[in-house]
Amino acid sequence: MASFPETERATIQPTQRSALFEFIHQVRTLRSQKWGNLWGYVFVAPTLILYAIFQAWPIVRGFYMAFSDYRWIIPETHGWASFNGLANFREMTQDETFWRSLGIAARYTFFYVPATLVLALFVAVMISKVKRPALAGFYRVVSYLPVILPVSVAMVVWKNIYHNEFGYLNYFLKSVIGIEKPPNWLGSSQWAMVAVLIATVWMSFGHQALLFLIGIYSINVEQYEAAAIDGAGGWAQFWYITLPGLKPIFVIVLVLSAGVLGTTVEMMVLFNSGGGPAESVLTTGLYIFRTAFEVGDMRMGYAAAMSLVLGVLGMLISGLIFKLLRTEKA
Amino acid sequence: MPSAIKKLLRPSTLLVNFSLLLIVLICLLPFIWSVSSSLKGREELFQTLPSLLPKDPILGNYQWILTRRDMSMIPLNMLNSFKVTLWAVVIQTVLATMAGYAFARLEFKGRDLMFYSLILLIFIPRAGGLMAVYELMDYLNLRNSHLGLALLFSSAMSVAVFIMKQNFLGIPRELEESAIIEGANTWQVFLNVAVPLAKGGMVVVALFEFLYVWGEYLMTLTLIDFPELLTLSVAVSKISGWATLFTSSAYSTYGAEAAAHVVAMTPVILIFIIMQKWFIRGLTDGILKM
Repeated sequence: MASFPETERATIQPTQRSALFEFIHQVRTLRSQKWGNLWGYVFVAPTLILYAIFQAWPIVRGFYMAFSDYRWIIPETHGWASFNGLANFREMTQDETFWRSLGIAARYTFFYVPATLVLALFVAVMISKVKRPALAGFYRVVSYLPVILPVSVAMVVWKNIYHNEFGYLNYFLKSVIGIEKPPNWLGSSQWAMVAVLIATVWMSFGHQALLFLIGIYSINVEQYEAAAIDGAGGWAQFWYITLPGLKPIFVIVLVLSAGVLGTTVEMMVLFNSGGGPAESVLTTGLYIFRTAFEVGDMRMGYAAAMSLVLGVLGMLISGLIFKLLRTEKA
Repeated sequence: MPSAIKKLLRPSTLLVNFSLLLIVLICLLPFIWSVSSSLKGREELFQTLPSLLPKDPILGNYQWILTRRDMSMIPLNMLNSFKVTLWAVVIQTVLATMAGYAFARLEFKGRDLMFYSLILLIFIPRAGGLMAVYELMDYLNLRNSHLGLALLFSSAMSVAVFIMKQNFLGIPRELEESAIIEGANTWQVFLNVAVPLAKGGMVVVALFEFLYVWGEYLMTLTLIDFPELLTLSVAVSKISGWATLFTSSAYSTYGAEAAAHVVAMTPVILIFIIMQKWFIRGLTDGILKM
């Protein structure tokens, strides 16, 4: 089996929990630490200042915003004055568009995650079977090309491919496969979600395939040889050696995929920042953007509240996945 | 039959090669289609059914998007993209290298506390982050500013600092120690001894930052109000609107759009193909080890 010349066998372990543990330990022992080399502060100061202003502050401010009736157009609501407690969250429970958008985001995630995972795993296993290093390298690069494209570029390219009259996809379906009336991909509410899924899976499966591939290459070759001697076929080897060996990668991929719930840009570009035909792809992310930047008073407070709910939901899901996959012995 | 051919015709090998060929086609078709559409004139795009290869390739679409400044801002947008990306890459690489060195080598009070704060903040959901950033940038007068974009995009520093710290930890300490004995101060040791040995990590950090900033969409869309200040990745999603003014002449909006897509994707593809080894190193050192 080929291997990456440039990597050692990577020990792959998600370490969120230990980072938290370390953090608490450091807080406890801070008093007893010596001042030491003061150059250290000079070296880290620019990074920490930039991080504090542009990353940490927006987290704090955004959290507060979620509990206020902050409207960009109305200056009186700016600053800290417009605190309104849980009113945003109460409004959310009554907001049909919010619930519908959450359903759309959930449905998208429900199809997107397994589709990407299965395709990525399949491609990774196939590439790992290629013996010639140069050919395997070619496959790796090609399957990763869609991933490095800017999201917006990938989506406008697909928009043109889906074009009802001039797009290649419907030409292919009509003239090569012979389907009389191919779907109007971006124009019908039935097909809009499918169109988004095809385009986004195309764009992202390569990333997970590469992660799986790194995982497969780090599995000890002797295990396969021993299994082959014992008479295990390809399927048995895949089931009993490859899959268990890839568990750490599964954890990473699945934990990260909770973020899919917030998908926004893909739909925005494919459907000219609208929610698609009959709002059929209006995800919560799009609804948040619309509420804060596009309609009415620019209700940033309500948008922040929705995005807090979405963020907490994502964190819960990834925490749950992390716990399930980590404790269960493979 | 020779054994090589026999091997090639084994069902498992056939399955591998056939499915990988299919994957390659699926991955590349949108690229091929964009390039081919960008080379087609109005006649060919509208009168014949779409074909993958242009019968009569022309460069007019490129000429249009790259010259006509009154309708197409693409040349300006391209310049903006390079400007923002360059600044963000330089700021992030320099700062992450300094911080990574301090976290790996220097000992001072609260060092690890600061490091783990940087790491832990990755996992906190950015609720309302977009709105809070909008307010912040407005307050700092950094809306509609390329400097603002560069500072914002270079500030997501956690992974870069992590990679640089690991990188410095992997370098043998002896050289730095002997420089200290010879009387060099911390800054001199860092600049003259450590940095030259850490170039690999810096390349990885710069590469990932380049890919991120070049493709950033949502923040740029939110913070920039004027078409002439947009970056290329946002501009490509707007060009169909700009190009409709142009449909009466020999080139179609469709072809012009495709040309813009090709222009926007070329830098990242080139960089990726040239630097793919560094890229895989970055994945294994960064994301998978965190």
